Amino acid sequence: MKIEFTPEQDALRQELRAYFSELMTPELTAEVSRAVGEGGGPLFWEAMDKLGKDGWIGVGWPEDMGGRGLSEMEQFIFVEEVMRAGFPFPFLTTESVGPILAKYATARMKEELVSKILGGKMMLGIGYSEPGAGTDLMSLKTTAKKDGDEWVINGQKMWTSLAHHADYIWLAARTNFDPEVKSHSAISIFLVPTDSEGYSCSPVHTLGDVRTNATYYDNVRVPLDHLVGDEGMGMLMIFEQLNRERLSLVNVGAFLKLFNDVTQWASDTEIPGGKTVIDQPWVQINLAKSRAGLEALKLICYRQASEMTRGNLAMEDASAAKVYGTEFFVELYRNLAEVLGVSSTLHRDSKGAVLNGRLEELYRTASIITFGGGTNEVQRDLIARGGLGMPRAKR
Amino acid sequence: MDFSFNDTQTDVQNLANQILTDLSTTERLNAIDQQEDRFDDKLWAQLAESGLLGTAISEDNGGMGFGLTELCLFIEEVGRTVAATPVIPVLVSAALPVQKFGSPDQQKRLLPDVVTGKKLITAGLSEALAECPSSPVTVAEPTGKGFKLTGSKIAVPFAHKAERILVTAKVDDEVAVLLLDPQAEGVELNREISTTREPWFEVVMNEVLVTEEDVLVTGPEGRSAALWIAERTVAASCAMQLGVVDQSMKITAGYTCERVQFGVPVGSFQAVQHRAADCFIDVTCLKLTTYQAVSLLDSEKEATNEVLMAKIWAGDTGHRVSYASQHLHGGTGIDKDYHLWRYCLWARQLEMNLGSSASLLAVLGGRIAEGKAFAE
Repeated sequence: MKIEFTPEQDALRQELRAYFSELMTPELTAEVSRAVGEGGGPLFWEAMDKLGKDGWIGVGWPEDMGGRGLSEMEQFIFVEEVMRAGFPFPFLTTESVGPILAKYATARMKEELVSKILGGKMMLGIGYSEPGAGTDLMSLKTTAKKDGDEWVINGQKMWTSLAHHADYIWLAARTNFDPEVKSHSAISIFLVPTDSEGYSCSPVHTLGDVRTNATYYDNVRVPLDHLVGDEGMGMLMIFEQLNRERLSLVNVGAFLKLFNDVTQWASDTEIPGGKTVIDQPWVQINLAKSRAGLEALKLICYRQASEMTRGNLAMEDASAAKVYGTEFFVELYRNLAEVLGVSSTLHRDSKGAVLNGRLEELYRTASIITFGGGTNEVQRDLIARGGLGMPRAKR
Repeated sequence: MDFSFNDTQTDVQNLANQILTDLSTTERLNAIDQQEDRFDDKLWAQLAESGLLGTAISEDNGGMGFGLTELCLFIEEVGRTVAATPVIPVLVSAALPVQKFGSPDQQKRLLPDVVTGKKLITAGLSEALAECPSSPVTVAEPTGKGFKLTGSKIAVPFAHKAERILVTAKVDDEVAVLLLDPQAEGVELNREISTTREPWFEVVMNEVLVTEEDVLVTGPEGRSAALWIAERTVAASCAMQLGVVDQSMKITAGYTCERVQFGVPVGSFQAVQHRAADCFIDVTCLKLTTYQAVSLLDSEKEATNEVLMAKIWAGDTGHRVSYASQHLHGGTGIDKDYHLWRYCLWARQLEMNLGSSASLLAVLGGRIAEGKAFAE
């Protein structure tokens, strides 16, 4: 046990920090803050291209797939730094779906898509939820039926984030209609090109100004090799993908920086009477609570990355990271917003906005995190079952 | 960044767990509670026999020569069994500083007998409302051949059985770390009744002479030596708390799977599972912050912030897991024929020892304001 970065990992962090301070030009920063966390603009794609060419996106991927062959820990360090820099990195594509796609997709699809992912040339949208299937994913109704050498897909998906930038939807559909077959072996995963005939996408505008989408599949035909893994393996891949997603969702990079920025602001900002904001005891307590909470989350993430390197990411640990991280973020945003006071409610375009209005925006985007990626109630069920051996809860 | 245990660490863990679970049974603990002192002499002898008392003591002094990490893994197992053994005061607060700062003569005089279990040594780190040993109110007046000590320490475990008690005292603007003989003239030992029933004493020192051979650290290094001792003691307390709450949580999860109400185990209710899941998360946070603090201290790295944060988690987690465990047990939790009640007392004791969460949040907040605790 040695809970410190190796000198090589420390050097990697420094290298990345310098790299990103150069990459994040004022123009790119302006473009991505208009798009609230989703990227997709011309400068964004230019930067993705550079990240791909410089070999960063696949830093922890095997060399035979075009990566640099370092471990999951180096991959995590890269993502932490990319987040710290404020770049809207499409981590769902690269960190969460990507590795599952690389493991299960057909050789042809894998060859085509992995190099695009690691080259920073594509984004995926995830099509799981439907109007009538959210937490209870196995009740999904979208269907895929084999017809000759094609699959024919029909149905509707909700909350298909990034679909308007995506080249493919990573789609869950029912492929077995025998009532005797259990739902979890009736679902399969497909890669659906977003330029397919019969596919359409319409925007859903959210509280956080983040666009998401409803996507529609009307007799969409995809070739047989667009099925990922075997027929009926869908839920297994979904669980594996979600475990990885849960870790990415609570990456602390951006929040370590936010904490430091608020601390610096509080030290530099005078209050009437000549003292600074940070001289006030309650401010110090808010900051201390934030700091101690962040430290635990940081270690949870590092341990997960280290477990992934050893190939044993446990379900209860992924769920614990998700529950703790998301609920802590909500508290963190409040603790830090309190330090800024009423100014924390000013939009970044407003006169007087503090720290680029980040806390105003975070408050609006935070409501998604405790249910997105698997609602926290179900995560707690999984922790009790996997971590403490308690019986499966009735739902 | 390596979170796994090596073979030595796993061996220490397993050996400690085996001896402690074999010997420190509920029946044995019940019997010890009838003694005047809550001390398991047979267990202590067995821990000596197995070499565990010398886990972090050098081979020259009869120990196994491992580090703080191995010692804290042993201490975690003691927490898991709430065994009646003073591992923290003897092996961490007293023995480690004697090894680190003591002369060869001081080491030879005390450490080999600690390893064999022949002698106990302890430490008085707390004073009433002054919990950091680096800023003591107790005064040491230089006599030319040593010091004259005046003041009092509280919460000193096993002061009456100790060969020496490590104490800190103020010498003008500096701090001295001294070894006090509890039998010396001018020492008064007043028994305190601690919530875990570990024998504690108020140690009153009235112009007690400490000769040169019992002076451990003086001069400008004194204050940092006191902090060195405090940080290791706090980290060890976090490790013990980790064992206590982890076991308390597991006992509770097991119990809720057995206890049937409304025709089903209460552990099948989502409300019960969610309270248990929150304990799992708390224990995870305590575990990781504690291991980080221990790992950094073991490599003699700067770890003041990390130790503070681990102890804040030890306080919060101790409080929350202890109450959740009691609550989910219903009446059984408070029944002294069942084994949960001791975990509850230990969790509280460790929560309050050497700084509560609230007081340490204030310390950490102060460091943040001084620019000493930015997030890396």
